[in-house]
Amino acid sequence: MRQAGMYSGILNGGMSGRTGPHLLPLARIKKIMKRSGEDVKMISGEAPIIFSKACELFIEELTQRSWKVTLQGKRRTLHKEDVASAVIATDVFDFLVNVVSESGANSEDTPVVMER
Amino acid sequence: MADEQDLLLPIANVGRIMKQILPPNAKVSKEAKETVQECVSEFVKFVTGEASDKCRKENRRTVTADDICWALSALGFDDHAEAIVRYLHKYREFERERLNQRVQNEVDSTRTKSGASDYKCIQAGKQTETPTPLLLFKVTDQNGSSSFTKLS
Repeated sequence: MRQAGMYSGILNGGMSGRTGPHLLPLARIKKIMKRSGEDVKMISGEAPIIFSKACELFIEELTQRSWKVTLQGKRRTLHKEDVASAVIATDVFDFLVNVVSESGANSEDTPVVMER
Repeated sequence: MADEQDLLLPIANVGRIMKQILPPNAKVSKEAKETVQECVSEFVKFVTGEASDKCRKENRRTVTADDICWALSALGFDDHAEAIVRYLHKYREFERERLNQRVQNEVDSTRTKSGASDYKCIQAGKQTETPTPLLLFKVTDQNGSSSFTKLS
């Protein structure tokens, strides 16, 4: 009999089932990992599982920072420009600068300065 | 931009995670979700690339969960790295328990199938805090007489 344990608790409301309570599809994550470079040939079974959690945390942080920009604009709808502003204002998101520029988001003249 | 180049995680899943962290009255535009989708893919590639470099330098062929944890920390995602390391330990513990339980179940089913005289209860793995189910085992002494002993 399968017991609900610490694992389910950590994943916070993900679907429980035989495939495992993950919020993001592991096979897709694995495909993206393989696209990161020619060197990436073998990936351990645990790696996509860990990435599932890491991506969740990443999305949460990016969303929270973007939402702050939304609120400063006194709005209730999060737009892609808010995401772009959050990326520009956060050092650790430097690698995303090209991604948000390609999306066509116009960077503001005075980017919002936020502490990391 | 070929679709093949930009493999993305499903927008429904991404949107759900975003909504989780936002207040109930918040709205998210479709374009914002798409942008976050692209950012997540870039994040995966970025971290994997760093982890993969480490493996190459250490002459290892397989990128492991530990490499991912290391890369997260090396790239400045310290808070995430800590949480992920804890998550990894819990996951490994969970998998160990699950494996122990499965072995135990197999032993139990073997016992019920065989009508053999001498057998012992085998406790697989280390002792865990979860209570084990009630076990019965048959003991045969030198004279050949047997009795049932309850192991609670």
